[in-house]
Amino acid sequence: MKELFPIKQINGFVFSLLLTVVALSVYFMDMSYEWGMTILLITAFVQAGVQFVIFMHAGETKDRDVIFSTLFYGVFLALAAVFGSLLTLVWDMM
Amino acid sequence: MEFFERFAIPHPSPMIYASMVAIGLTVIAIIAGLTYFKKWGYLWREWLTTVDHKKIGIMYIISALLMLFRGGADAVMMRLQTSVPDNTFLDAQHYNEVFTTHGVVMIIFMAMAFIIGLMNFIVPLQIGARDVAFPRLNAISFWLYFAGAMLFNISFVIGGSPDAGWTNYYPLANNEFSPSVGVNYYNWALQISGIGTLITGINFIATILKMRAPGMKLMKMPMFTWTALITNLIIVFAFPVLTVAILMGTLDRQFATNFFTTTAGGSDMMWANLFWFWGHPEVYILILPAFGIYSEIIATFSQRNLYGYKSMVGSIVIISTLSFLVWVHHFFTMGQGALTNSIFSITTMAIAVPTGIKIFNWLLTMWKGKIRFTVPMLYSVGFIPLFTIGGVTGVMLAMASADYQYHNTMFLVAHFHNTIIPGVVFAMIAGLTYWWPKMFGFMLNEKIGKWGFWFMTIGFCFAFFPMYITGLDGQARRMYTYSEASGFGPLNMLSFFGAGLMAISFIIIVYNIYYSFRYSPRNVGDDPWNARSLEWATHNPVPEYNFAIAPQVKSSEAFWDYKKNGHQLFKGDIKDIHMPNNSGQPIIMAGLFFIFGFSFVFYIWAGVIISGIGILACLVYRSFEKDDGHHIHVQEIKETEEKFGGAKK
Amino acid sequence: MKLNNTQPLEYSTEQNKINIVGFWIFLGAEIMLFATLFTAYFVYENRTGTGPTGEEIFILGPILINTFLLLTSSFTIGLAIHAMRINRKKATLAFLGITLVLGAAFLGIEIYEFMTYYHEGATLQTSGFTSSLLLTLGTHGAHVTFGLFWGLAIIQQIIKRGITPQTANKTFIFSLYWHFLDVMWIFIYSFIYLKGMM
Repeated sequence: MKELFPIKQINGFVFSLLLTVVALSVYFMDMSYEWGMTILLITAFVQAGVQFVIFMHAGETKDRDVIFSTLFYGVFLALAAVFGSLLTLVWDMM
Repeated sequence: MEFFERFAIPHPSPMIYASMVAIGLTVIAIIAGLTYFKKWGYLWREWLTTVDHKKIGIMYIISALLMLFRGGADAVMMRLQTSVPDNTFLDAQHYNEVFTTHGVVMIIFMAMAFIIGLMNFIVPLQIGARDVAFPRLNAISFWLYFAGAMLFNISFVIGGSPDAGWTNYYPLANNEFSPSVGVNYYNWALQISGIGTLITGINFIATILKMRAPGMKLMKMPMFTWTALITNLIIVFAFPVLTVAILMGTLDRQFATNFFTTTAGGSDMMWANLFWFWGHPEVYILILPAFGIYSEIIATFSQRNLYGYKSMVGSIVIISTLSFLVWVHHFFTMGQGALTNSIFSITTMAIAVPTGIKIFNWLLTMWKGKIRFTVPMLYSVGFIPLFTIGGVTGVMLAMASADYQYHNTMFLVAHFHNTIIPGVVFAMIAGLTYWWPKMFGFMLNEKIGKWGFWFMTIGFCFAFFPMYITGLDGQARRMYTYSEASGFGPLNMLSFFGAGLMAISFIIIVYNIYYSFRYSPRNVGDDPWNARSLEWATHNPVPEYNFAIAPQVKSSEAFWDYKKNGHQLFKGDIKDIHMPNNSGQPIIMAGLFFIFGFSFVFYIWAGVIISGIGILACLVYRSFEKDDGHHIHVQEIKETEEKFGGAKK
Repeated sequence: MKLNNTQPLEYSTEQNKINIVGFWIFLGAEIMLFATLFTAYFVYENRTGTGPTGEEIFILGPILINTFLLLTSSFTIGLAIHAMRINRKKATLAFLGITLVLGAAFLGIEIYEFMTYYHEGATLQTSGFTSSLLLTLGTHGAHVTFGLFWGLAIIQQIIKRGITPQTANKTFIFSLYWHFLDVMWIFIYSFIYLKGMM
């Protein structure tokens, strides 16, 4: 039975639960918007990293460069879309 | 009867009825012809079910030429209507429909298809691969594109064409201002063909990254393959944006949601924002492979290696990223502040730098080269100055404050045609002429081809340069007519004359295909242009398995090395070759998608549900299917190689 | 077909490796798909018209349960891949089954949540905010639904054909898909729900 539960995966699971709870603090604790967003950004992206690297084995083969380039390019463009659109349509709209 | 009333054309005219008859007769003629010559089986076995990248490429190109005819006819109608003041050839509604379908057909169904067709045929050959990474998906891509194109084109005779511009801005495109089903057609046609394009993108990235010949490192890929890789990268990251934007538009129109409405918190500006977040990268999806084609042709016909290979690669990579960071320049006047406009003004102008680097690289490749002015080379040489003019006017438009003047005028129309026609259309015709012997085993006639080139180029100058002037004088785009007092008449007549020349050039090009098919010699050899890259190292036309032995590569010009430097391309013995099986599923699935889209356009829910279940059933069938392909045996390969004049060493 | 025994079965043929890389590229496209939905959501977040705001309709309970369900399912499918790699067919099937059950439970709660929104007057048609909220959640939910059927097909194939290079490859790719849905849910949890209730 034991060999079915590798320690790496269990650690990953516990860690991601932990991150979820930390993120939850923005709901229960009284903090400024900036602090809350900082916490959420960190926990969400770290959690995504845990999933990609530990659970999805993104770095285990020779194709790791392709996989990570795809992910980073996607994240870069995602951020460009989100912040560019917010800038254009909300923050800087006359 | 009520059921059928929805299919009626809302604004019928004799011309549309004539087209209906013409379409009907053509369909009947095709069916009758196929039946009479007993070609149904051949068609089904060899083409409709094929997964061969070469045949799929050819089908893309044939479809693209058909769409070029359709889009070109639209263009000539527009130029005819505006050739004289207060013309009544088309009314406002028809003019709206014509410029909308012209834009969509030319960008999505013509240029995209042509580019993807050339990539399909050439890229696997240039990297020495047997086929693409996912041959079955490749067929699905094509048939989804084809289903989308057909869906879009029948809007003309069933239910009415879209009429809100190819940009389809809201609120103009909502139910209130576009009450016909035209915009529904727009949504579903683009959605279905967009899925196909996305699949192509994934397929080609995987192919280029994973299936290159031994020794071909990334920096040893031919330039066309490099541009294909980057183009597909842009496709993969840009098309999902269009998918979502169109889904929102569909929900707005057909399910009364509030995405692009002007009430209840909706934002019509969001459509423009999302559309151009896809739309700007889209123009680079088209132009980058064109740059790749020119790079191949200029190097071949200057008989020199491409100048500045590394800076070429660097500049296309930079362009790919910058192309995602400029989209706001399409709506400088929408109301965002000076800060935003300044940022996007600067990123836009920055794109001119890597593009300029490429122009200089091409010029330096030709410098001191032994230039042969063949038809492909003529197009490439014509491209450089004309495209530069388009680029310079682009920098003019990039200045946000000045754009308040140019905005929505014919100046803009002149600018983007000035980049797309010498950039993309010239490249397609040049590429088609250049690779024609690779596809069909004979050359296109050079003399007729040169006539085509001169008509095209001179026609282009006459058609579009006057628009710069009328645009600066204030002629708005998309206006179906103008008064005589405006003084736009003579220059618009000149544009019509130019459009006529371009139409003649299209006829010449098609005639050239017919003429060369009849009269060109068939023994052109494997390397008629004295070319440099790997696709010329196999036979003409290419056998099913591309290369009998996987080639060994040392540089980006492996075939040149083989010819001039004694590089040994093919080492080892012929072995059994594994090939994918043909399949009828792609075309069946695309047919179901067509029914799905058509039913959705007209709110026929039964059709939507049945075809939706059919599509899912296809997916399940495919998941459980066991298909390991087949092998071509050594004996058979040897016989084929003998037939083509012996195996190469 | 050349088999390479030094690597897990799902990588054992050249086509298998290509399939996995291809799927990662598809996930890149999925990142952009969800990025677009988030872009729209952030712009529409405060454009509620006369409809309710996020703060008024979000309920923490079901959201937390759903987060836990999906995180756990992501863990169990990771275990399924591990079991597959040590060639334990029954354990693989069991973990896959648990994953799908958790996914179905997630979907049930999400449907319940949608019904609550509906009763509170937050429908797809209410406002820019609700339209984009429900489209984003709905797209994720549709992905989960599709995943359930896909997972069933894969379980069926493992039962029938055992753990072969082909089925292992399919299972691994399915696991990538499922983990990815979890990642997207984390972003929904953080930047739609928690940000909205902050």
